[in-house]
Formats: sequence, structure tokens, C-alpha cells
Amino acid sequence: MSNLATAIPTIWQPHTQQHAYRQLMQAFANPGQIEALSEDALLLTLATLLDGATSIADVHGLISALDLARLETANEPAETAHFVLADGAQAPVFTPSLGTLESPEGGATLLLTVTAFNDGASYTLSGPGVDGARNVTLQGLNPAWLDSRESWNAAFPMGVDIVLLAGKQVMALPRTTRIKGA
Amino acid sequence: MSVTYNFGFMDEHAKKEVRRSILKAISIPGYQVPYSSREMPMGRGFGTGGLQITLSLIGADETLKVIDQGSDDSVNAVNLRQFVELTCPGVNTTTHLNEATLIQSRHRIPEVPLTPNQTLVLQVPYPDPLVVVEPSEDKRKVMHGEADYARLLVKLYEDIVKFDEITISHRYPTRINGHYVIDPSPIPRWDVPKLHNSPALILFGAGREKKIYAVPPHTKAEPLAFDDVPFRVESFNDAQGNRRPCERCGATDSFLDEYINEDGSKRYQCSDSDYCDTVLAETKEAANA
Repeated sequence: MSNLATAIPTIWQPHTQQHAYRQLMQAFANPGQIEALSEDALLLTLATLLDGATSIADVHGLISALDLARLETANEPAETAHFVLADGAQAPVFTPSLGTLESPEGGATLLLTVTAFNDGASYTLSGPGVDGARNVTLQGLNPAWLDSRESWNAAFPMGVDIVLLAGKQVMALPRTTRIKGA
Repeated sequence: MSVTYNFGFMDEHAKKEVRRSILKAISIPGYQVPYSSREMPMGRGFGTGGLQITLSLIGADETLKVIDQGSDDSVNAVNLRQFVELTCPGVNTTTHLNEATLIQSRHRIPEVPLTPNQTLVLQVPYPDPLVVVEPSEDKRKVMHGEADYARLLVKLYEDIVKFDEITISHRYPTRINGHYVIDPSPIPRWDVPKLHNSPALILFGAGREKKIYAVPPHTKAEPLAFDDVPFRVESFNDAQGNRRPCERCGATDSFLDEYINEDGSKRYQCSDSDYCDTVLAETKEAANA
């Protein structure tokens, strides 16, 4: 059994995913905080969160057919998928699932690739998980995402939660986070 | 024949579902996220909700502390700790709060403030504070969504009319981030203020009722009250108005349990056993110095 375990790439191993999940949980609990994962953030985040009970919309074709097969998840349009994966540099052209008043957890999780967190446009975050205010810089995120997010999240508790992915780093923006531009 | 369990007993798909539910619970503070609570090798009501969260979070480099009513040595804590030791090889367990990275607790929040690197998991028997005023879950979900807690406030008001005081001793309804009202599990009133602006993430798991909810760090948590009848915690003053100390360690800043001696007299002692031990050790050290 141990031979089999070593043959599987680390990204698909439970131990790696457990560790990555704890970092993702810290990211959600502390919006704007950068967590450095052990592997490529895009694939590791998908491997950690998705399985046959979920669905994904890969809007800009960012994952290979082989990895998609390994995720054992269903392909769905961006309007209904649980997880929507997109290139953050391109403006959104869809409205994701926002959940319902009774079941707001049906709101989608958006996974957006960006260039970097150490440069670019600066924003000030506040809300649950942020002690006062936290400053972040985002490079490679089309501002249209934040404008759309504002309207998607206008009627709390409905809304979307965003995970930004840059190389091996992740940052989360849950629907409760207030974002002010510079 | 030896049987080997998956690390953490639960299968990876079950863990993933709990993990996804926790992320939504953090994103919607105080909202009860439904999940498919699995069968555990112990009865529902023995902390299976908290246990499923703990097992979904725990990794080989973890140090776990398990608390039952403040104590590390009472039966629920011992059982759950042994179960984790059995099914999660490599995991460390401790009774000292400052060593723990993950803390599962039944009905108490430790006296010493948590740190940002710690996560507290509370076991929840009854997750929905509205169940006392509305039997239909469908209707309760709408009320929660609309943040309509008028009937709950009427219930509190009726208490004031009858007893001049809100008589809820534990499970005190608490509003999170100005929207959802949660049942903070059967923690005493004493612990409710610790939810407010907590440095650590607090997760709630109800196994029988199949719900997970969360209070993220640095989040507003306000116990329901009225302007002219503010929320107050338990008083440990004696008849003369003096704060009773713990009989064992002498602390005057902790939640005390009341014990009845054989002769009928009462004795008061810290509920948080780790805190009591720490204060006792410090007092001894100071005496020897």
C-alpha cells in the first residue's frame, strides 16, 4: 500500500490535501491573508476541494483534460456550477449561482487566477476575519470582477466567495469582506 | 486479522464534504450549513459533530486538546481523545492549552484567550436557536435569511415579565456579524463574550442535526438583550458580595463549578482544569521563590 501511495503525485495525496485545506481555511478565516501552498495553487486547491459531489465550470480552459478526469467532478455552465474557475485578467461575462435566501451556501466559489499579490492595484479590506483593516495589492485582476462581485453580493446572505490564485499562493475574499479601492 | 482505518477514520470524500461546508460556514458567519453527518462508531449526541470536524481538519503534525465541561479527564474528553489517538497515528495530544493547535470542546471555551494559530471546535446538541419559537425548519430558514428574530426577542421579553431577568443559563442566543443568531452550544453565559472579536476561528459541529456553523476571528458576536436589560454573565459572589475564589487554586477570575460536600455545604472550584493547574503551579512557584 505504501508503494502505491508514493506512486501517486503528491498533489493527489490525502496528507498534502489536508495540509492545503488548513491553509485554505486560514485564508477564508483571514480574508486578504496570503497563504503559500506547497504546490501549484490552482491544481492543489481544486484537488483539495472538489470530488464527485461537486461541479465545476472551467470558463477559460485552465485545466487539462487529464486533471479534470482525475478530479472526477461534473462539468457545468458557469451559471450553475459550484466552483467557477476563470482567468482573473478577463472580465466576467456570466452571473454565477448566488444561492437562495434560505440556502445561501449554494452561492458559487469563484477561483480566479491572478499574476501576483506583491504588486499592482491596492485595496483595503475590512469585515469578519479582518482586525480593523488589511491592505492588499492585486496584480492581474480585472477590476470588473470586483464591480460584479459588489452587485452579486449586494443581498447578503446571498453571494459568491472568491479565491485568488497566484502561482503557489492563495488569498480568499469571502462574501462578507468589504473591499475599498485605492 | 488486523484492520487498518483510513487516517482520521473517515473516508476522504466525507472529509472533503465537511471541509467544503466549513468554508461556506466561515463565508456566511453564523449560518448553519447542512452536511451529510456520517455514522461514527459512537452514538449521536456524544460529540460526533465536533469529532467529524476535528477528524476532517487534523493532520499528522497536529497537537490536539479535548475538553469536556472544562476538564480534560472526564469521560467524553477521554473517549474522544483516545479515538483520535487510535485513528490518527502521529498526532500529539495534550491537556495544556498553549501547546494545542486544535481544540475540541464540549460546553466550555478555555479561560485563557486563544491565539490566531489555534482553532476551537465546539460540540453542539441543538444548533437552531429559533426551534423554541418555530417548529418548521423551512420557516426557520426563511426567518434566519431575513434576520427575523422578533419572536425570539418576545421569548426573552416574557422571561423579563415573569422573572425580571432573562433566565437562559447556557446556549445564550448570540447574533453574529449583525445578521444570523446562533445557538453558541451549551457554553455558560461566562463564555459568550469570548466569541466576540475572538483571535481564533471557532467552529460548531452538530452531528445529530447535521449542521456546521462558524464564528470567524475578529467578528462581532452580540448576545441578544435589551437596552434597559443588558446581558450579564454569572455572578460568583457570596452573600456578602465578595467574589468567591476557587478552593483549589485561589483564582478569582474563572468560571466556577459548584460541588456539594457530604455534609451539605458547598464548595467552588475552577471548571477549566488546565487553567486551575496552571494557576496552582504558578502559586507554588511564587511561594518557593
